[in-house]
Amino acid sequence: MRLELRDITKRFPGVLANDRISVTADRGKVLGMLGENGAGKTTLMNILSGLYRPDSGQILIDGEERVFGDPVAAIRSGVGMVHQHFMLVPVFDVVEAVALGAETTSDRLGTFDRAAARKRIVELSETYKLEVDPDARIENLPVGVRQRVEILKALYRQSDILVLDEPSAVLTPYETEELFSIIRSLAGDGTTVIFITHKLNEVLEVADDIVVLRRGKVAGTADPKTATPQQLANMMVGRDVALMVPKGPAKPTDVVLKLEGVNVRDDRLEMAVTDVDLEVRAGEIVVIAGVQGNGQTELVEAIAGLRTPDSGQITIAGHRTERASPRQVSNLGVAHIPEDRGRDGLINMMTVAENYILDNYHQPPYSRNGILDLDAVREHAAQGVKDYDIRTPSIDTLAGSLSGGNQQKVVVAREFSVPVKLVLAAQPTRGLDVGSIEYIHRRLVEQRDAGAAILIVSTELDEVLAVGDRIAVMFDGRIVGILSGDDATHEKLGLLMGGATFGGGVQA
Amino acid sequence: MTASIVASPDGMGLAARRALRDSRIRGIAYLALAGGAVYLGRSLFEVPAEFKFWIHEQGGDSVSFQANVGVLWMVAAASALFVGVLQLIGGASFRWRPWLLMILGPLLLAVLSDILAGTPAIMTNVMGGSLELALPISMAAMAGILSERSGMLNIALEGKMLIGAFTASVVSSVVFIATGNVLLATIIAIVAAMTAGGLTGLLLAWLGIRHKVDQIIAGTVINIGAVGITNFVFLRVLQHNTQYNAPPSVQPMALPLLSDLPVLGPILFTARPYVYVGYLLVIFLTYMIYRTRWGLRLRASGEKPAAAGTVGIDVLQIRYRALLFAGLITGLAGSYLSLATAGSFQMQMTAGKGFIGLAAMIFGGWHPIGAFFAALIFGFADTVQSLLSILGVSVAPQLLNSVPYVVTIVVVAGVIGRVRGPASAGQPYEQG
Amino acid sequence: MNRVRALLQRALIPGLSIITALIVGGIVIVLTDVEALGKLGTDPIGALFKLNPPDSQNLFGGAIGGVLNAYGAMLAGAFGDPGKIVAAFSSGDSKHIATAIRPFTETLVATMPLIFTGLAVAISFRAGMFNIGGDGQLITGALGATITAIVLAGKVPAPVILVMAILASTVVGGFWGFVPGFLKARTGAHEVITTIMLNYIAALVVFFALRSPDLRAAGSTSPVSKNLTPIVDVPNLINLPGIRLDWGFIVALLMAVAVSFLLFRTSRGFELRASGFNPTAARYAGMSAGGSMMLAMTLSGALAGMGGGFMVIGTVGQLTLDLSGGIGFTAIALALLAGLRPSGVVMAALLFGILANGGKLMGVQSGIPYDLLIFIQALVIMFVAAPGLVRSIWRIRTTRPPEDTDPAPPITPTTAASA
Repeated sequence: MRLELRDITKRFPGVLANDRISVTADRGKVLGMLGENGAGKTTLMNILSGLYRPDSGQILIDGEERVFGDPVAAIRSGVGMVHQHFMLVPVFDVVEAVALGAETTSDRLGTFDRAAARKRIVELSETYKLEVDPDARIENLPVGVRQRVEILKALYRQSDILVLDEPSAVLTPYETEELFSIIRSLAGDGTTVIFITHKLNEVLEVADDIVVLRRGKVAGTADPKTATPQQLANMMVGRDVALMVPKGPAKPTDVVLKLEGVNVRDDRLEMAVTDVDLEVRAGEIVVIAGVQGNGQTELVEAIAGLRTPDSGQITIAGHRTERASPRQVSNLGVAHIPEDRGRDGLINMMTVAENYILDNYHQPPYSRNGILDLDAVREHAAQGVKDYDIRTPSIDTLAGSLSGGNQQKVVVAREFSVPVKLVLAAQPTRGLDVGSIEYIHRRLVEQRDAGAAILIVSTELDEVLAVGDRIAVMFDGRIVGILSGDDATHEKLGLLMGGATFGGGVQA
Repeated sequence: MTASIVASPDGMGLAARRALRDSRIRGIAYLALAGGAVYLGRSLFEVPAEFKFWIHEQGGDSVSFQANVGVLWMVAAASALFVGVLQLIGGASFRWRPWLLMILGPLLLAVLSDILAGTPAIMTNVMGGSLELALPISMAAMAGILSERSGMLNIALEGKMLIGAFTASVVSSVVFIATGNVLLATIIAIVAAMTAGGLTGLLLAWLGIRHKVDQIIAGTVINIGAVGITNFVFLRVLQHNTQYNAPPSVQPMALPLLSDLPVLGPILFTARPYVYVGYLLVIFLTYMIYRTRWGLRLRASGEKPAAAGTVGIDVLQIRYRALLFAGLITGLAGSYLSLATAGSFQMQMTAGKGFIGLAAMIFGGWHPIGAFFAALIFGFADTVQSLLSILGVSVAPQLLNSVPYVVTIVVVAGVIGRVRGPASAGQPYEQG
Repeated sequence: MNRVRALLQRALIPGLSIITALIVGGIVIVLTDVEALGKLGTDPIGALFKLNPPDSQNLFGGAIGGVLNAYGAMLAGAFGDPGKIVAAFSSGDSKHIATAIRPFTETLVATMPLIFTGLAVAISFRAGMFNIGGDGQLITGALGATITAIVLAGKVPAPVILVMAILASTVVGGFWGFVPGFLKARTGAHEVITTIMLNYIAALVVFFALRSPDLRAAGSTSPVSKNLTPIVDVPNLINLPGIRLDWGFIVALLMAVAVSFLLFRTSRGFELRASGFNPTAARYAGMSAGGSMMLAMTLSGALAGMGGGFMVIGTVGQLTLDLSGGIGFTAIALALLAGLRPSGVVMAALLFGILANGGKLMGVQSGIPYDLLIFIQALVIMFVAAPGLVRSIWRIRTTRPPEDTDPAPPITPTTAASA
C-alpha cells in the first residue's frame, strides 16, 4: 500500500516536534528516514502507530484519509511497528507475545486458541525464513531473534506497512545483514517498509528512497544510488560536520587500569564477561566497541565497583579493586559517566547544585565533619555551570527539567570537578545532538591530554573511530581483538563485532 | 596508600552469589530442621499419636491413623533431611516451593501430635477448620493476585474487607427485619458487600490511575478510611441500635453426593457455601489467568504495559476492571467474616487478614493455586491456636496470636526463598 | 512579598484539603444521624435544622446543626473559652487560670507525640521508605521506658531514671524501626507489610508484658501498667494544678530542628534524600542505599519510640494498650500535609493536635465518636496526595506551580513486595 503523510504537525509544550512533515512511501519500496536524535523521527512514528494524534495534517493510505485515534486503528489500517525498545512481554513465550492483542478465542469464556495462533506463527516464520521457535520464552531469546519476533507480530496482523525504528541499534553487523535481507524480501512481496535510523551507511544500503529530517522538518530527500555519506550528514545536521574529533596523537605513559582474567555475571546470573584482559594507560583513549549487550555494561560496572567479578583481578592505579565499593573506587580518582544518565547519573528530583556534588558531597570543600557547607556548594556549582556551559535557569533548577545534552554536561562537569586518573564513560553521547556530542568528545580528549586514562564504551562505529586511540572489540563477553585507532576501519570492526576472529588485530 | 581495599558492595552485583548463598542457607536450615526434629522426638516414642477422621458424620464411624509422636518427628526429620540434601545439590535453581510441602506436611503433623500429647486429633475438624479459617485469607490473596497481575499494588485489601464485613452485617440485619427471610437477607447482604468492595476497588483505581496517587498511599487512604468510617458508624449507630448488627448467620450446607464421600466429604463438602465458592474461585481464576485472552492481556498489563498498549490493548481499562473484580472478591470475603465466622460486625474485625492474604499471594508465587495452599497453612496455624486454647495448653495467647504475623514477615522477607512478582506492579502507566 | 505569596501558594492545597475533609466529615455526621434521617421524609427542614432543640451545650438543632455543634465543640475543646481565659487571668487565681488554659495546653499535650511520629514518618519517607509502623515503634518505645522506670525505681535518683527511660524508649523504638529497614535492605521485603505486621506484634508483646505482675497496676484486671508518675515524671512547663504540658513538648520541637538540620545541612541527610529519590543513582554515586534505608528507619523508629517514652513517663503517666491510639496513621497524614518538611510537621501536628484534643470534647458533648477523625485523616491524605482532585472540587485553575526547590520525594514505586 502507498502511505502518504501530508503536513503532519505535532506540538509539545515548548517544542515543535513535527513541523508540516510530508512524506510518501510507495508499495513494495523501502523508505529510509534519516535524522539525528531530536529530529522528530520518534514523534512521527508514534503518530503513525496511533499513540499520538497530530495537531494538524493528514495520513493517507492508498489515497484515502485515515484517522489513527489509537493503536488499534493504526493496526487495522495495516501499519505494523517494530519499536526500538522491544515491546514484548519477557515472561511470555513467542506464541503469547505475538498473539497478544490479536488473539483468537475458541469459546465463550474467551479461551485463547493457542493451537491456531501457533500454527500461523510457524507458517509465517517459515514463509519469511525468520527461524523463530514458537515455544521459547522471550527473555531467553537473543536480541536478534527478539527483533524477528517483533516482525512476526506485524506480519501476524497482516501489516502492509512495516515501520522499523532504529532496528540495528542492538544488532551485530551480521544480524543487521540478515535483517536487511528480510526487509528486502518483505518489500519484494509488496510490503511498504519505513526504516528509521540515524546511521548513514544503513539507509544507503537498504533504502530505495531517503528522507532526511532535521529539527522537526523535512530537510531534504536523496537518492541512495547517488548520495554520499557526507552529503547526508550535512543535510542531517544542517551544516558541515567534522566527522572526526580534532585530537593529536596519544602519548601513553603508565598503566592506570589493568584487567586480568576478569569474569563477571549479569543480573540473571549468566556469564556476561569472560576472561577479559585489558590495559589502559594514562594519556590514551581506549574504546570498547561492540554491539549492545555483549558484556560491556557489566564490565564497566565491575571496574566501577558496582558489580563484584566472579574471578580475576582489577587494578586501578596500583590498587586491587575487584572487591572495592563504588566509593572506594571513586576515591582512587575514577570518574564514571554512566550509561543511563537519567537513571544512574542524576537525581532528577534534586537541583543542579545538588547533582553537582552528588558523589563528592562527603568531602571538603562541600562538607566538613559531616556538615554541608551550602555556600561552598553553591559557589562551586555555579562555577561548574559556567565552565561547562550548562544551560539552566539557575543552579536551583531541578536536574530533571534540563535537556539531555545539558544533563550530560552536569554529569561530566561533576565527574571532572575533581582530579581524575581514570575516566569510565559508557555511551557518553547516546541520545545527544551533534553539538553536544562534539562538546563531550572535546572534553574527553582534554582529559586525556591532561594525563588521564580514558575508557569509553560505545556501540556507534563513528564514535569509536573518531575518538579511540586503541579499540577493543567485545563480543559475547570476550575481547575478540584490539586494534589501534589508525588501523581500524568500519569493515574490520564490523567483522570483529560480529564475532569473527581477525588476524590483523594487535593482541593485548 | 596501601593496596588493600576490601568492602562488600551492596546490591545487584552480588545477586548470583546471594542466590546461591540463600539456597545453601535454605538447605542447611532444612538439615538443621531435621536435626531439631530428631532432638524433639527422641524421647517421645512412648507418647501415642492418633489422628481421627469421621467417615460420614460427626461422632459416627471413624477411621484412625495411629502412630506415636516420636515416629512422627522422625518422619518429619527424614523428609527435611531428604529435601535439604536435594536443595544443597540443586543449588540456586532448585525448585523449592513444591518440595517445601513435603517438609511442611509431616512437620505440621508432628507439631500437632506433640501439642496434643496423646489426645486424639479429630483431623476432620482440624482440616475443615483450617479450610474455613483460610477462606478469607485465600480470597484476599485471589484479589491481590488479580490486582497485581494487572499492575496495581493492592494493599487496601484489609480496608475493603472491613467495609464488606460492615455492609454485609448491616444490610443483612435490615433486610431481615424488613422481610424476615433469611435467604433473601443473606443474598442481598452479600451483593451489597461485594458492591461496596467493588466500589472501593474502583476508588483505589481511580486515585492511582486518574490522579496518579502512589498506589501505596492510595491503599493506605482506604485502609485508614475504612477503619475510621466503620468504627464511627459502629459507635454512633450500631452500638445503640444492636438490631442493625444482628444478621442471621450463614449455616453450613452439605453438598449432595460429594458430602457422602467417605472421609473427604465431612472435611471438604459439609462447610459453609462460602468455602465452595472459594474452591471454584481458585479454579476459575487459574483458568482465566493462564488460558484465556483476558488473562493474557491481564498478565501483559502487569508485566510490560507498554507492550500491551502498543498493540492497542487498553491497559488502564484492564487495571480498572481488575481492581473492580478484586473489590468484589474482597467484599465477599468481608461478608464471610461478619455473616459466618463472627455472626456480627465488630470493630477492626479483619485483624490483618488482608495483609496476611498478601503474604499468601507472595508465598504462592502470584498463582491462585499456590496462594490457596499458602492460605491453608495460615488457616492451619489459626486452627492449632484455637485447639491449644481449648486444650488449655499453657502458652501465652499473645505469643500464639503473633504467630501469623511473624510468619508473614518471614514469608515476605523471602527467608524460605525468593519469588518473582509481576514486573510492573505499582508503576503508573501513561496511556497516550 | 514574593515569599509570602509562595508560602500561601504552598499552603493552598493542604489548607483546602483540610477544609474539604471536614466538610465530608460533616456530611457523614448528617448521614449517620439516624433519628433525623428517620424524619427526613415527613419534616425535612425540621430534620435538618430543628430536631434536638438547642440546649445550653448544643447551640444548633437538627442534623446540620449537629455538625456545627460537633465542630464547635471541637474548637472549644481545643482552645478553651476566650472569655473565661481573660477572666481567669484578671482574677489571678492560679486554679482558675489552670482550668481556663487547660484545653489549649491539652491540645499541645496531644500535639507532642504527633510531632515525634510526624517527624518519624517524614524522615522515612524522605529516604523512600513508607513507614506505617509508627504505632508499633511508639508503643514498644513506651514499653522500654516503662520497664526501665520500674526496674530502676528507687535504685537511682529520678533524673537519672528520666534520662535512662527516654534512652530506653529511643533504643527500643529504634530497633522496632531497624527491623523492617534491615529486611528491606537485605531481602527487599516490602516495608509496608513488615511494619504493619510489626504493629500487630508490638501490640501483642506489650499485652504479654503487661501480664507480668511487676508491670501491671496492682489489682487491675485490664492490661495497664503501674502509675509511673511517682517514680519519674518529666518536669512540667507550667506549674499549675492539672496542667500536664511538660518539657517533652520542647524536646519534640528540638527534634524538629534536629531532623531539619540532619536532612538539609549534613552529608548524611544528603545521602538519605538522594537514596530516597533514586537509589540507583545514589549507589552509582558511592552511597549505600541499603545503609540509608536502615538508618532512616532506625531514626524513624527512635523518634516514634521517644514520643512513646515521653508519653508514659510524662503526659500519660502509665503504659496502656491503646497508648498510641492510631497516632502512627495520623502521622502519615500530617507528614504528607507538611510536605515532609520538619517545620511543616510541627504546624500540621498542632493542627491534628487541635482535632484530636477537640475531638474528645466533641465526643463527650455532641455524641460524635472520636473515630470520625480517623476517617477525616484518611480524607486529608487522599486530598493532599491527589491535588488535582482538590483543584477540581474548588474549581481552581491550574496555574503553573512555582518552582519547588524542595519537592517531597515520590515514594519509590516498589515491585509488589517481591523480594
